[in-house]
Amino acid sequence: MSTHDLSRRQFLTAGAAIGAIATMPKLAEAQESGGRLTLHAIDTYFGQTRAGLQIDLSIRDGDSYRLIKTVETVERGRTEEPLLVGDELQVGRYELLMHVEEYFDKQQAELPNPPFLSNIPIRFAVYDASQKFHVPILFSPWSYSYYRGS
Amino acid sequence: MAGITTHVLDTVNGSPGAGMRIDFSVLEGDSYRLVKTVHTNQDGRTDEMILAPEATKVGQYEILFHVREYFEKLGVELPDPPFIDEVPVRFAVFDTTQHYHVPMLATPWSCTTYRGS
Repeated sequence: MSTHDLSRRQFLTAGAAIGAIATMPKLAEAQESGGRLTLHAIDTYFGQTRAGLQIDLSIRDGDSYRLIKTVETVERGRTEEPLLVGDELQVGRYELLMHVEEYFDKQQAELPNPPFLSNIPIRFAVYDASQKFHVPILFSPWSYSYYRGS
Repeated sequence: MAGITTHVLDTVNGSPGAGMRIDFSVLEGDSYRLVKTVHTNQDGRTDEMILAPEATKVGQYEILFHVREYFEKLGVELPDPPFIDEVPVRFAVFDTTQHYHVPMLATPWSCTTYRGS
């Protein structure tokens, strides 16, 4: 065996060891990174989302939606915790009911009565509970938009 | 012009959303009562107004867009259940002398609506 072969073998062995170490954090990350549902509510009227937008999260159960929890946005339109994490996230059809009338009232936006938009239902499905579902919602008193984000 | 109209745009294909089923309902008490089901024409609009000016009253309305069905018919592969399926847009008419144009820009992964003109 030439010294060249030897050094190559040592190099490969070392490489395998480094590879094994490198995969360890990845495994830990994979266990931690199960499915989750998060949202980001973005007020495109004032240009910044104030805290206190009420959102009701429900899941479709037969012909109706069953309330899971009610949350309020904190500053910048996110929620303090993910809406659902790990086992809490199930395959199913969900609704985020955004209480925008109440929100814009609190911000003293001048709106007609009744306002064009009051409680906005955002409906989407989770089809793989191991994935992350991030749902940004851009809203104003006159429009809204949502999509599967990342 | 007053009344309620809509316009469906398929922003995957950059085209009008032709042939999409739409259910139009009005809020009565705690529930929405179906008024009519229509399909969009080749221009993504409806041949008749969703609600004619003389029939429009101050109140809460819902236009339900059958987005999944539309993309399925086009042969788009969707997960089961699809991220976006039936999309309800709920809005109020607050002045019957005004026109309420409520477009829907749809893809299987996003949708947008607004008060248009």
